[in-house]
Amino acid sequence: MIEIILLVSSVLFIFALKLFGRPSTAHRANTFAMLAMALAVFSAFNFDFSKYDSAFYITIIVSGLLGVLISKRVQMTQMPELVGLFNGFGGGASGAIAYVELSGNSLPLSDVFVAIFSMVIGVFTFSGSLVAVMKLRGKLNNFNKKLADIFSVFLPTVIAGLPAFLEMDDLLIEFIILVALIAGIIRVAVIGGADMPVVIAFLNSLSGIAAMSAGFIVNSIILIVAGALVGASGIILTLLMCAAMNRTLLDVLKGGFGGTTINNEYEKDPISTSPEDVAIQLSYAESVVIVPGYGMAVAQAQAAVKELTNTLKDKNIEVKFAIHPVAGRMPGHMNVLLAEVDIDYEDMFTLEDINSEFSSTDVVIVLGANDVVNPLARTDEDSPIYGMPILDVDLAKQVIVIKRSMSPGYAGIANPLFINDNAKMLFADAKEGLENIIKSFELV
Amino acid sequence: MEATFLLTLLITFLASFIGYELISKIPQTLHTPLMSGSNAISGITLIAAILIYPEVGESQLLKIIVLIAIAFATLNIVGGFSVTGRILEMFKKND
Repeated sequence: MIEIILLVSSVLFIFALKLFGRPSTAHRANTFAMLAMALAVFSAFNFDFSKYDSAFYITIIVSGLLGVLISKRVQMTQMPELVGLFNGFGGGASGAIAYVELSGNSLPLSDVFVAIFSMVIGVFTFSGSLVAVMKLRGKLNNFNKKLADIFSVFLPTVIAGLPAFLEMDDLLIEFIILVALIAGIIRVAVIGGADMPVVIAFLNSLSGIAAMSAGFIVNSIILIVAGALVGASGIILTLLMCAAMNRTLLDVLKGGFGGTTINNEYEKDPISTSPEDVAIQLSYAESVVIVPGYGMAVAQAQAAVKELTNTLKDKNIEVKFAIHPVAGRMPGHMNVLLAEVDIDYEDMFTLEDINSEFSSTDVVIVLGANDVVNPLARTDEDSPIYGMPILDVDLAKQVIVIKRSMSPGYAGIANPLFINDNAKMLFADAKEGLENIIKSFELV
Repeated sequence: MEATFLLTLLITFLASFIGYELISKIPQTLHTPLMSGSNAISGITLIAAILIYPEVGESQLLKIIVLIAIAFATLNIVGGFSVTGRILEMFKKND
């Protein structure tokens, strides 16, 4: 009986992943996955619910309610943090289970290795995810230097203490946990904000791998199957994100990229424009492409984007959205924010789909994006972003960049797009800039 | 024992392969809900916690650690699916 339930559960998980692949079926995918999960969890009890005491049931109920509460109260713009947080919990759970197995029963030697592996990956995912959450909340912006200082004191101490630890055989496991915890913190802390889509996807994959290896220890096929599915899907997203930046996973994980200004000098001053001029310019356009970036998320400008889109569409102007794969702080971040304000996903285009259209586009609005529209990626072999696929907005007839200042993006380099002959700068916060343009429309 | 282990490895390989094949065609628009949903699935490690809970024995410390694992995994599952539902709700409105 249990075997049949588990079989159904495995099949449901696989179907759920398949349904996640299309916008029209994705909401059913979630239902399938929930059902599969419920069956799998139910089967673990093996019809014997009396083996469990009240502490067990209270823990499940309280944390379940807490999960619902947290997920309902969080704003859409904080979604990357939330996904990161829950991911860290999953990894932490696998790590804790592996620890209990290691310190409790005497495991066969092969299981010991699997358990250590699961513990290290789980603990790493836990501490790494929590650091990622703090980074996403902007709490660790000056952390890198501080961390390097702390680390330079800490590391020699650990190495000096290592022999003592090794003699105390029973503390070896705790020592491994400590190292994995610190490794997670350091690894993620040195990686810059704009690399977060890779980090979040990678940690997601690791939490699956940790669950999968926990499945090997407790001999649960469903755990192995589901863990492997998550691990594989996370790896795909990770590699997609890396490809979108023309960097390898190792290179991203090494950290240290971006965050410092390498060169932000311009040969000439950019042409500055006003909301009124932008409104006039837009009203003469036939096609408009909006390129959203992290600046849109920070300014919470989605609603203003929707309003401008409506205004333009009312004037029979075609509006499309060009979304770079690594725009924002997690895979698909911009798409979710635009969907939140009811922008049709048919109007959202990927880099490959829209790049050939820019040359025939009348006006491009760059909204809080920088490096992903920097033409140096095509032309300057010495540039740190050389070879990265970018949105070729500089080929459009006119480009309007809504940005607070001329400050460089994550890569720390000047963006010659801003002083291009066809480009004008509207110096404003993304939300405020758009709202002023919309107001000006009413006057035009 | 040997044969079972090999069979388990085969299942692991097949599951990874299916996961890879199913996901490689997913459009960018759905990357966030996919990640959030698969994130919730990784909380399936709750099963391991349920299986070992009755067997931890007398140690209060280990019992507490398993309870922490249960709390974390439940948060991961319930919170993860709930968030995914919220994200997908926004895509549904568009249909």
